Amino acid sequence: MIQLDKVSKKYQDFHIQDLSLKVRPGEYFVILGPSGAGKTLLLEMMAGLEVPDSGRILGLENRRIGLIYQDYMLFPHLNVFQNIAYGLTIRKEGKQKIKTQVEKVSENLGIAGLLSREVNTLSGGEKQRTAIARAMVMEPEVYLLDEPTAALDLSTKTQIQRLILELHKKEKTTVVHVTHDFEEALAMGDRIGLLFSGQMIQKDTPEQVFNHPASKKAADFLGYKNVFSGSIKDYRMNINSLDITTPEKDAEKAFIAIWSNDIILSQSKLESSARNTFPGRVIKSIKRTNHVEVIVDMGVWLYVDITYQSYKEMKLRPNARIWATFKTQAVKVFLH
Amino acid sequence: MEKEVMSSILLTLRASLWATLIALVLGIPLSFVLARRHFFGKKIIEGLIDVPVVIPHTAAGIALLMVWGRGSLFTKITGISLPGTEAAVSIGMLFVSLPFLVNSAKEGFKMIDVRYEKTAVSLGASPWKAFTSVSLPMAKKSIISGSIMMWARGISEFGAVVILAYHPMTAPVLIFERFQNFGLDYAAPATVVLILITLAVFVVLRVLGDRK
Repeated sequence: MIQLDKVSKKYQDFHIQDLSLKVRPGEYFVILGPSGAGKTLLLEMMAGLEVPDSGRILGLENRRIGLIYQDYMLFPHLNVFQNIAYGLTIRKEGKQKIKTQVEKVSENLGIAGLLSREVNTLSGGEKQRTAIARAMVMEPEVYLLDEPTAALDLSTKTQIQRLILELHKKEKTTVVHVTHDFEEALAMGDRIGLLFSGQMIQKDTPEQVFNHPASKKAADFLGYKNVFSGSIKDYRMNINSLDITTPEKDAEKAFIAIWSNDIILSQSKLESSARNTFPGRVIKSIKRTNHVEVIVDMGVWLYVDITYQSYKEMKLRPNARIWATFKTQAVKVFLH
Repeated sequence: MEKEVMSSILLTLRASLWATLIALVLGIPLSFVLARRHFFGKKIIEGLIDVPVVIPHTAAGIALLMVWGRGSLFTKITGISLPGTEAAVSIGMLFVSLPFLVNSAKEGFKMIDVRYEKTAVSLGASPWKAFTSVSLPMAKKSIISGSIMMWARGISEFGAVVILAYHPMTAPVLIFERFQNFGLDYAAPATVVLILITLAVFVVLRVLGDRK
C-alpha cells in the first residue's frame, strides 16, 4: 500500500497542501486535475525525486518504480535498444541477459523491429512504447505515469491506453496515473482522485466522481456546461425567470449542474414525469465529432447535446421555438 | 630563427591545451552545479568567473602575480616560484579563458530537461551516474565547442601571459617582441605561420566536432 500522509510541498508555482492518499496494492489510481495543479510534482515526490516540505510518503521506500513522462524522455544519444537497456546496464547485468530481457519486453510491446533505430526517428506512439519498455524491463512494482498519452494523436492514444491497461491487468502492478483528461481517467482508473490547486478534493470511483462531483470546480472541469448558482427554496432554484426543480429542499447558497446529455429537446411541450420543462428559442447549433451541441435560451442559456440524427429530423434553425426537459434527478446540487 | 618560431607556437598550443584540460576536469562539474542548483552566493561565483572578460588582461596578470609572484605568501610557504615557467603561462591562460568553457557548458546543461536525469535516477542510476551517462553526453556539443573556444582564447592570450612569463616566450609575446625590437618586416613571418597553423588546427577541430 502506498500512503501519503499530509504531504505539503512548495515548488516554483506549485503548492501541494496537506495531501493524504492511500493507494491499494494492485490498484489503478488516476489523479485527475487541470494543468498547474501540481500533478507532476506529486508523482516526482512519490518517485523519491523530490522531497516533501512536510508530511510523509510511505510504502515506496526501496520499491522498484517505473516512471513514465508525457514527453517520453528517451535519451537522445542512445538508440532504442540502449534506451531500453539503460537500467539493466546501470545494474551491471551481463550482456546476454540484457539482450534477452530487452528483446522479450520489446516483443511484448511490438517494438522488436525498432531496436537499432535512433530515437529521434520514431513516431510518438513508438517513442512512448520505448519509454514503457525501458521502465518495464526493470520489472517495477509500481508504475508512476505522468500524462502518458497527452502528446499522442487520438488513435495512438487509444492504443497506448489499451496497452497500459493490458499490462496492468497482466502484471497486477500498482499504477498511479496523472492526467488532465477526464475521459482517460474514467476509462482507466479503478479510482479517481481530483486534484485542484494542490488539494485533492475528491477520491472515489469514476462513476461516483462523474455523477456526483464534489464541487462546482469539479463539475466545470468534468465538462458540465450547465452550472448555475443561487438559493434553493422548497425544492426550487430560481435563475432569471427559470424555476428549476432540484432534489435538495432548501439551501442558502448552492450550485446546480445539469449534464448536457440529460436534457431532452422537443418541438412541443412534453407531457411526462419530468419536473423541469421550459419553452425557449434556439441560439445556435455547433457540430462536434460525435454529437451536435445546441445552445438554447430559456431565460438562461442551456447547453444540450443531441445526436446528428435528431438534429437532422428536428430542423433546429436559429431562433426556432423549442422545449427543453430534464428530470429533477438530473440536477446535481453542490452546497457550500 | 624558424626553430624559435615553431617552438614558441608549440609551447602556446601546449600551454593552452593544458589550461583547457584542467578546466574540463574542474570547470565541467562547476558549470553543471551552476546550471542545476540555486544556492546562496551563486551570483558571486558567476560574477567571479566572468571577471576576466571585463578587466584588462594585464590587470589579470598583475592580480595573479600578487597571489603567487616573487615575494608572495604562496612562494614563501611552498618555495615554488612560478613566474617565468610554462606552468605560469598555462595558469594565466586558464584564468582568462575559463569563462568560455564554463559558460558554454553551463548553457548546454541548462538546455537539458532535468527530467532526463530524473528518469535515469528512477531507473537506478546514482546522481553521479546520471550525470556521466546522461547529462554529459547530452551536453557534449556545448562542451566541445566551449573547449575549442577556450583553447583558442588561451592561444591568443597576450596581456596576462606577458606579465606572468616573458620567457618561455609564447607566440603572441614573440611576435610582440620582434615587432618592438626589429619592426614589421621581422614580425610578419612569425605572424603568418601562427595564423596558418592555428587556422588549420581549428578548421580540423570544427569539422571533427560537427561530424559527431
